[in-house]
Amino acid sequence: MITLTHYLVASALLFAIGLVGILTRRNVLMILLSIELIFNAANLAFVAYARAWGDVGGQVVVFFIITVAAAEVTVGLAIAVLLSRQLKTLNADEISLLKW
Amino acid sequence: MAWSLLSVELVVCAAILLMLAADLLVPAARRDSLWWLALGGIALAAVLLARQQPSGIGQTFQAMFLVDRFAVYFKGLFLLTAAVVIIMTREFHHHLPARVGAFYILLLTALLGMLVLASVNDLLLLFIGLEILTFSLYIMAAYLKTDARSVEAGMKYLILGSVSSGFLIYGIALLYGFCGSTSFPVIRAAIANGHAPLTAQAGLLLVLAGLGFKMAAVPFHLWVPDVYEGAPTPVVALLSVGSKMAGVVATLRLLYGVFMPLQGLWGPLLAVLSAATLLYGNLAAIPQTNIKRLLGYSSIGHAGYLLMGLSTASGSGVEAVGYYLLAYLFSNLTAFFVVVVAADAVGGDALDDYRGLSRRSGWLAAAMFIALLSLAGVPPLAGFVGKLLVLLATVESRRLWLVAIGAVNVAISLYYYLMVVKRMYLDAPRENSPIRVSPLTAGTLAFLVLGILAVGIFQEPFLQTIASALQP
Repeated sequence: MITLTHYLVASALLFAIGLVGILTRRNVLMILLSIELIFNAANLAFVAYARAWGDVGGQVVVFFIITVAAAEVTVGLAIAVLLSRQLKTLNADEISLLKW
Repeated sequence: MAWSLLSVELVVCAAILLMLAADLLVPAARRDSLWWLALGGIALAAVLLARQQPSGIGQTFQAMFLVDRFAVYFKGLFLLTAAVVIIMTREFHHHLPARVGAFYILLLTALLGMLVLASVNDLLLLFIGLEILTFSLYIMAAYLKTDARSVEAGMKYLILGSVSSGFLIYGIALLYGFCGSTSFPVIRAAIANGHAPLTAQAGLLLVLAGLGFKMAAVPFHLWVPDVYEGAPTPVVALLSVGSKMAGVVATLRLLYGVFMPLQGLWGPLLAVLSAATLLYGNLAAIPQTNIKRLLGYSSIGHAGYLLMGLSTASGSGVEAVGYYLLAYLFSNLTAFFVVVVAADAVGGDALDDYRGLSRRSGWLAAAMFIALLSLAGVPPLAGFVGKLLVLLATVESRRLWLVAIGAVNVAISLYYYLMVVKRMYLDAPRENSPIRVSPLTAGTLAFLVLGILAVGIFQEPFLQTIASALQP
């Protein structure tokens, strides 16, 4: 039997994996990917809670989050393209024209 | 449904669509005049906002969207900020890529996000308003796409901003799980007895982390210096005033409108963060050599005073924050306006480029002088009253250690602001040619400087407006 707790633990794990990815990965694309994991952790939590409460409101929120996450990645990739054109690298450690 | 409550936002939406069409239809040679369209949209929105005040108090969209005096007051400040930034952008035109209309579209969408945040009465709307604002700013920060520093600033802002929105939305998920709704009134009812389970408390902290990023509070300040240095200056002005103000407004709505019963949790936390933010921002500003970076650290310091006012959990604290934001708006916009105008003439944003500015343009130097003194909190300027009110509210809430830290930081900030003033007035300029200032720019600067003086000297009418706006 899979309960609410199982979903929430999975969601918390996703969140943690995303956070560790952001802190340890040095490639901009991998960092963007890790951020997606965090958004999806929130999605999973929302869907699980919505089911537990028997409320569609939480599922509606998920659609908004998916849209926002897609927009965020679009802008992020566009800036990443500009960055690789200007600096010829996507390694976060080498992006240091401004003191980081 | 009461559409009139949405009139301000609808006008801004219409201006965005008009700008989109105008950017395609207006011939390239005449696109420089598109700023009129943006300014006209904001003026119309301001007129509608003024008409909303007497009767239009209410809610719409299933109570997600709330229009009260609080919202009207802050929407007024947002419209003023956007108008000044548009005039600032006009001075900045020649740095921007050819399609300048797109820049104004982004500016207006950022404004739309801020306006929504002032009326927010639901966590979902809070998230969406914040994202509309932040996404516009990501693109605007990276707008100079052939300038590697601007692109780098945009990337850093996007990564740290997305991480903080991730925290925010995860926190919202936890709060939703606690009470089964994202609506503020439902959450307020659920925590009315002052008790909340650990998940709800964690949710609140994560949401505060997301909002702390917008305010540039320690420990979510990492993006500030780099983005301030690399992004186009009008964008930085919008970031430092509009975006910070939006973060504070949303925090006010959330903490004072909903989470008041939990003040034992967030009051001390904000007080500690306030002390850390003040010390970090002001101490790190001292060794800076770039004016935009210096103003970035100083804006972290000001976030500290705002957090101090928020941490009091009292009516006088909210009033102090409302006054502080008004003073900060006039002072910081003046400082950034001078940076925009002076940058081309003096050849850069380094502090040493400002040597002898007073001999090249007495008015620019004087405006910068007044703005910096007001930011430092020298009487009788606006910033002084703001700081005084915040400190008094903190005394009332019996956090004397925080008052002491706040007072010490006034002295620290005075030091680095005066180092800029010394360069402008005492050092010799590299060249002596006078700087030409266009009439519109001079007029706007004069208006902002008069604002600093008026808010500082005639406190009574402003205090009354704020008090009536913030009391329910």
